[in-house]
Amino acid sequence: MLPELLQGVDTGGLLVIQDSASYSGRHLLQSFINAALNREEAVHVLGFEVSEEELKDGLRGSPVQRLHFHNAYTDPLGWTDNPAFTVHQFCLGELTRLVKQTSHSKPATLVIDSLSWILRHVSTPDVCKTLQQLRKGGAVRSIIGLLHADMHQRGTVGSVCHSATSVITVEPAMRGDEAVAKITKRSKSGKVIQDEEIFRIKDDLTVVVQSKSSKGAKKADSEEQETDPTANLTFNLRLSDTERETKQKLALPFVFSKEKKTALLHSGPGSGRIHYEPDANDDYDQEDPDDDLDV
Amino acid sequence: MAAPMSSVGKPSAERSPFNNTSFQKKTRSKLISIPGTRPSVQNGQLLVSTGVTSLDYLLGGGLAVGTVLLIEEDRYDSYSRMILKYFLAEGVVCRHELYVAAAQDNPDDILQELPAPILDDVAMHKPAEQPRLSCEPPDGLDAMKIAWRYQNLPKVQTALASSSRFGHYYDVSKTMEPEIRQAAKCHRFYLPEHPTQSSPPHSTMLESYSALLKSLQEVINREGFDVAAPMSNSRNILRIGLHSLGSALWGDDLCCHDNPKNGRALTTFLYGLRALLRSSLSVAVVTLPSHLIQDRALMGSITRLCDNAIALESFKGSERETNPLYKDYHGLIHVRQVPHLNCLASKLPDHKDLAFKLKRKQFSIERLHLPPDLSDTVSRVSRGELAGATMVASACGSSSSGNKHLDF
Repeated sequence: MLPELLQGVDTGGLLVIQDSASYSGRHLLQSFINAALNREEAVHVLGFEVSEEELKDGLRGSPVQRLHFHNAYTDPLGWTDNPAFTVHQFCLGELTRLVKQTSHSKPATLVIDSLSWILRHVSTPDVCKTLQQLRKGGAVRSIIGLLHADMHQRGTVGSVCHSATSVITVEPAMRGDEAVAKITKRSKSGKVIQDEEIFRIKDDLTVVVQSKSSKGAKKADSEEQETDPTANLTFNLRLSDTERETKQKLALPFVFSKEKKTALLHSGPGSGRIHYEPDANDDYDQEDPDDDLDV
Repeated sequence: MAAPMSSVGKPSAERSPFNNTSFQKKTRSKLISIPGTRPSVQNGQLLVSTGVTSLDYLLGGGLAVGTVLLIEEDRYDSYSRMILKYFLAEGVVCRHELYVAAAQDNPDDILQELPAPILDDVAMHKPAEQPRLSCEPPDGLDAMKIAWRYQNLPKVQTALASSSRFGHYYDVSKTMEPEIRQAAKCHRFYLPEHPTQSSPPHSTMLESYSALLKSLQEVINREGFDVAAPMSNSRNILRIGLHSLGSALWGDDLCCHDNPKNGRALTTFLYGLRALLRSSLSVAVVTLPSHLIQDRALMGSITRLCDNAIALESFKGSERETNPLYKDYHGLIHVRQVPHLNCLASKLPDHKDLAFKLKRKQFSIERLHLPPDLSDTVSRVSRGELAGATMVASACGSSSSGNKHLDF
C-alpha cells in the first residue's frame, strides 16, 4: 500500500509517519516530498529539526523550485530579534498566510518536520485543533507529519494519530537497508485497512517495496485451479435432448393434477391447515447468502 | 425479551409506516405516552430504544429516559460511530428530536450517514423450493410445482421487519433518504463554529464543555423538553448524541497526557449533563476514546458518572484478529455498568463474554462460546507426550519407566 500512499494523500488528509530512535523516518519523508514535487505540487516544509541545506541535499535531483522551506531550524523559539519562523506561529492564521503568500493556484502540501518538536512546546489539544482546522480550511491540500513516537507519552501519540487518515509506523527490518512499514489507512466511509510491508529507499528517493511480510501462517502458498468435476468421468452425466424431454414428461408420484390440487387447497373446515411460523432460516438475504458480507 | 406494546387481536385501522396500531390502551397511570417509548417491565421507567435491539436487551429493555449511555470507543472509532448512527436513526424513525454535537466531523456529515430503516412494506419475498429440473418457467408465483400446498399462504415477512414497533432494523449499506431525515428536527453543535470565550479562572470546566452544556440547556428549555414545563398533549423525547467527547479536539488533554492538567473537566461536564437530563425528557449517548486515557482511576470515575456504560473492543489491528475463536465476530463488547434507577439492584446481563458482529441488516451481540474442537487428537493424549509429562512431574517421586500411561 505504500506506493499508493506515495502517489498522493487524499485531499484533507493527514499522514503521520511514526518513527523511533532505531530507524529514522526522515528518508521516507523525503520520498514523500520527492513524489509530491514530481507530481508538480507545491510543497511547504516547516523544518524544525534539519536545516534547509541538509534537506535540499537529500533531495538532489528533484525539482526543488516548488519546494518552499520555512526555516524554523535556526531560531524556533524566537530568542533573537527577527526569527524566521517560530513554533508559536503554528496556528491556523499564520500558517494560512504563510502558505498563501507563496502558493500557486493549487492548494499546497504541507510537510511538518517534525511534529514532535511542536508538541514539546505547544499543548497537544492545540496542535490537534490546528491540524484539524488546516485540513478543513482550503489553503492546504494535505499534511504530512513526522512524529517520533518514543519522545512522547502514549496518549499524546494516540491523540495525534486518532485524527490522522493514515499512519505509517517504520521500524528496522532484518537487513540493514530495509525497513518494515506498518500502515493503517482510514477511508472516508470508515473502513480501516492495515498492511505491513518491507521496503527500501533507493538513492533517487524512490521506494521499492520488497515484499509483504507474512503475518500469520494462514496464507495459502498457491491457489488451486478450479477443476470441473464432471470432466473426466468414466460414466456419462450429460443428457441428450430426447432424454431431457422424457424426463420432463415423467409424472412424479406425489405430483397431483391441477384439479386435485385446487380441491385440496380449498379444503373444507374439517381438514388440516398449515400454520407456518417463520424461523431463523427465513432471514435469507438474496444479496448476501452466506450472511458474511463485510459492511 | 419484553413484550411489545401493540395488542395482537385488534385490527389496525390505519397504518402509518412508522407508527403502531391505532389501538390506545386505556390506562389511568400518569405515564405519558410518547411514540417510540414504552414502560420498562422491570421498574416501570420509560424506555427508549437505542436502535440496536440486541443492545436494548443487554441494557434491560432499552435506555431509560433521563439517562446517559457511555460508549467507550474502539480503536478506530468505527463501531461506536455506527451505534451512534443507529441511535440517531432510531430517533428519526420514532419522530423524536435530535441533538448532535461533534468536534471532529460536522454534525451534518454524521446525519447524512444514517442507515436506512427497513420498513414493513418492503417485505422480503420468501422463495419457495422451486424445482431445479423444470425448464419451463412457472406461471408467476401461483403455480408452485412441489410446494403447492403453501401456495395460498401469505407472503412471509422476515423476522427483521418485525411487528414490534419499539426497535427497528436498519440496512447499513444504504443511507437514509433525505425526505425521511428532514422530517425530523435536528439541533447541531459543531465546536469550531463556536468561538471560545474565556472561562472564569476558577471553573473546572473547559470552555468547550460549558458552551456545549449551555447550548443543551437552551435547547431543552426552548423546545419544551423540561419536565417542569406545562404538560401539553404532545411531548417528545430529545435524543442527544455527543461524539468523541474527551478527545483532544474538544480542547481536553485527558487523552493526551498521563496526568492531565484539567482531568476533572469532563467529569464536571458529565455531572452537569446528568443533572440536566434527569429533569428533562431526553436521552444521551456519549462516545469517548477511552483507549487513549491512561489514568484508570479517572476512567472509573467517568464510568460511575454515566448511568449505562459499555466498551467496544474491535479485533481489527489487534493480535486477536487471527485467533480462530473470534473469526465469526468483529469485536468484543463489555458491559461496564448498568444503572439501578429507583431500585436497589439492577439486572446484570447473564453472560459476561459477549461479542458483536456488524451484519448488513443487524448489529448482533451474542454470547461468545467456544466452537467445538473437531481435531482428531483433541481427547487423546499421545503416548510420548504423556510419558514426558510423567517424567517431569514425578521428579521427586519414583520415576516411571516411561511406558506406563493411563488411558481411559
